[in-house]
Amino acid sequence: MRTVITLSILLITLIVGTLNAQTTINGTVTDHKNIPIPGANVYLEGTYDGATSTNDGTFSFTTTETGVQKLVISFMAFETFEISKEVTEMKDLKIVLKEEINTLTGVTLTAGTFEAGDNAKVTALKPLDIVTTAGAVGDVVGALQTLPGTTTVSEDGRLFVRGGEAEETQIFIDGIRVFTPYNVAPNNSPTRGRYSPFLFNGTTFSTGGYSAEYGEALSSVLLLSTINEPDQEKTDLSIMSIGGGIGNTQIFGKNSISVNASYMNLQPYLELFPDRNEWEKPYVGASGEAVYRHKFDDGLLKFYTAFEYTNFVVKQRNINYDDRVRYDLTNRNLYNNLSYKGALKNDWILSAGASLSFTKNDFNIITDEIDQNDVSYHVKASLKKKFSKHVRLNTGAEFFSTSYTQDFKDVSNFTFTNKVQRELPAVYTETDIYFTNNLALKTGLRGSYDSGSDEVLISPRTSLAYKSGKNSQVSLAYGDFYQTAATNYVQYAQTLKPQRAQHYIANYQYTNNGQIFRAEAYYKDYADLIKYNTLRPEYNSVYNNNGKGYASGLDIFWRDEKSFKNVDYWVSYSYLDTKRDFRNYEAEVMPNFAAKHNLSVVGKYWNGDLKSQFGITYSFTSGRPYDNPNTDSFMAEKTKSYHNVGLNWAYLIDQQKILFVSVTNPLGIKNVSGYQYADTPNMNGVYDRMTVRPNADSFIFVGFFWTFSDDKKSNQLDNL
Amino acid sequence: MKQVTTLLILFITLTGFSQTAYEKGMNKAFATWGEGNSVEASNLFERISKAEKDNWIPLYYVAQVNILHSFGEKDKTQLQLKLDKAKEALEKAKELSPDNAELLVLEALHNTAWIAFDGATYGMTLGGPTTEIYNKAVALAPDNPRVVYCFAEWNMGMASYFGKDTTPYCNDMKKAIELFSTFKNETLFYPSWGLDRAEQLYKNCNQ
Repeated sequence: MRTVITLSILLITLIVGTLNAQTTINGTVTDHKNIPIPGANVYLEGTYDGATSTNDGTFSFTTTETGVQKLVISFMAFETFEISKEVTEMKDLKIVLKEEINTLTGVTLTAGTFEAGDNAKVTALKPLDIVTTAGAVGDVVGALQTLPGTTTVSEDGRLFVRGGEAEETQIFIDGIRVFTPYNVAPNNSPTRGRYSPFLFNGTTFSTGGYSAEYGEALSSVLLLSTINEPDQEKTDLSIMSIGGGIGNTQIFGKNSISVNASYMNLQPYLELFPDRNEWEKPYVGASGEAVYRHKFDDGLLKFYTAFEYTNFVVKQRNINYDDRVRYDLTNRNLYNNLSYKGALKNDWILSAGASLSFTKNDFNIITDEIDQNDVSYHVKASLKKKFSKHVRLNTGAEFFSTSYTQDFKDVSNFTFTNKVQRELPAVYTETDIYFTNNLALKTGLRGSYDSGSDEVLISPRTSLAYKSGKNSQVSLAYGDFYQTAATNYVQYAQTLKPQRAQHYIANYQYTNNGQIFRAEAYYKDYADLIKYNTLRPEYNSVYNNNGKGYASGLDIFWRDEKSFKNVDYWVSYSYLDTKRDFRNYEAEVMPNFAAKHNLSVVGKYWNGDLKSQFGITYSFTSGRPYDNPNTDSFMAEKTKSYHNVGLNWAYLIDQQKILFVSVTNPLGIKNVSGYQYADTPNMNGVYDRMTVRPNADSFIFVGFFWTFSDDKKSNQLDNL
Repeated sequence: MKQVTTLLILFITLTGFSQTAYEKGMNKAFATWGEGNSVEASNLFERISKAEKDNWIPLYYVAQVNILHSFGEKDKTQLQLKLDKAKEALEKAKELSPDNAELLVLEALHNTAWIAFDGATYGMTLGGPTTEIYNKAVALAPDNPRVVYCFAEWNMGMASYFGKDTTPYCNDMKKAIELFSTFKNETLFYPSWGLDRAEQLYKNCNQ
């Protein structure tokens, strides 16, 4: 009985004691500028006692806890604050929360970079834009040409960035170099990117000042990342006016495989719409791609392989010949890319990969036979670590190798072989420092060794970004960039030094829901450019690294998807002032692939009733220089300006069937790419000339795309 | 003896009393939410989740509050903050309760919130994965009314976006409504929402 009573008393005391020992905890929560934070969660850890801060940042609650307790104050986008002390002392607390370093609202290192993808904070281009931009017809490169910083070189089709040659832009898939990113095309026909856009879910296009992780590019890098995990098993079928394709994706456990095959034949199209060429064998292309992915517990392995075969025989006019010149080209390309990304101990992330590329070109030009063989590989490993929310490190090493052979044989059986063997090891290290949410610095160093010239090259890179307002930021970037001289020079002069460029970039960016404005000014200094002393680079030319030049300009971008319902549009304008003395130039002049003004306007309109998306793209390029040998001045004349309009219509027949129609240059504007002058003057001492025009003024594309999948929901809008 | 019994009852009540701190906390959170104070409700659920470290239920509601209140949010920064908070809670909940169809439904709704915000960007990238999440949820719990009704609503949304007939999914909706009356789960505060909206959607079917 006594025990019972004692127990009762004990219990009662406990209960009463609990009831009595209520302590009030109160205080205020502010940010570092003393602005109250409403909505913060304030609580004693491990208990139910807590409160939410009110509009003036104050909080107050009672607790029955006693002794030393841990008070936690948390709020989205701020670092969680903890304080341990006696509950009775938790009175009139002044809590100052520190802003969390936040990739979302914080400053980003953006100078020179356009990103497309759902992870990017500021998306200039959405993944779908690549396939729905009129005029691009599913070509990644074509869509990027509607961004500022690029010059449209209509007869070429490759990316020309900020006064640089096309070779100055390098393309990487999952961080690993692509050696032959473009399809082969006849002269005066724009080429297309080799890789179908639907394999990629992220695109970063940098027009300058990029990370130390990327080398061997003087002007620009394009980074493509392949899809990590396919969502579902499906089969895609496409029937197009120029060919057809079939694709299939299978998922089994932690593995998935996607295969893709396509065949293109321009013969039927050319019979309906003949162009300026005389085709002996119209363009035929066959390609196959496969991606295999395996998921490990904390890593992902991807293997990508692509094979492509292209053949055509075409006869084109040439001012130096009475008859059309016959080009017979067969291209075979095999590209393999293996990559692994996974977590190691202590938060290190390892990315490793390798690419191996085989390219074989067989040319027959009139009576000359040229066979080119290129075997290149790239091996790379990088380690990344986030030391804290403020400091991140990225360091790595890579190795590039190229073996190239060219065999030449003419009608008299004269033969000539050139060989190039180049190795290029490089190391890099880079740190991102986020001082606050408003100020960030990326600084890195890249070291590489060029085997041909036996030179060690050190390139510092740095960029700084400051968030100047809620929706705006300014960035600065500087970098040194080196690139080995192109194979067509190196094959005759093995010891040529790499070419060099220095970038200085200042960028302003404004983003508001659905609106982006960017202005970027840059200055680029070129040195050690390759020069030679003959009409074309030949085995007996004299080569040196004495070339130089500069490019400066202003790039403006505006995108607005908010102001008009169902309408999304963007405008890109680039002003370019550039001169260079390179190749066989007599003086420092504006090169023929540069244009002072470049404008692109892209509009898209979705109409739900018609289940259709309509797109229009207008591009304008001011005249490009050419040299008229009948005058004394060098490269002093300019072509007329270039205009083009692209229209497209995507019609969703149902969720799995799409009809796609695209027309480029429906108005049939007669554009001029340039003029070809005779190598020698005629009897009157005048160099004759021929106007070089695109092979076809207009192009029509019709495609029907059908997807079969379990859920009957996906379609090939991504593939277009 | 009687006293011992009294004491025992008292003791049990006391123990019960200490258990109901969870019930009390949860009920208060639901009441706060009912009053329209979603920030406070989210904070309360979060506090409870910190005290009940092995229970996925409070985390479920942290996610649900933030997902539901992100629909209609026009500011991308705010939207991302809410949805990231929801995602974080969902990930923690999934660790505590793997292969839970209720959590998969929320994960699908999380994606739907992104698609509702910007269909052009997220529709294509999240559409397929969302369907896969539902497929997985159906495989795990074919008789869960929320799984059936949310999947049906998702399918209706997709069909109407593409201008297709939504009626094939009305049968699913009907099935979901029936499942709401038969579905039982004894877990305290186990999710039970959805009947009203399912009935509303089914009513639209028959108009």
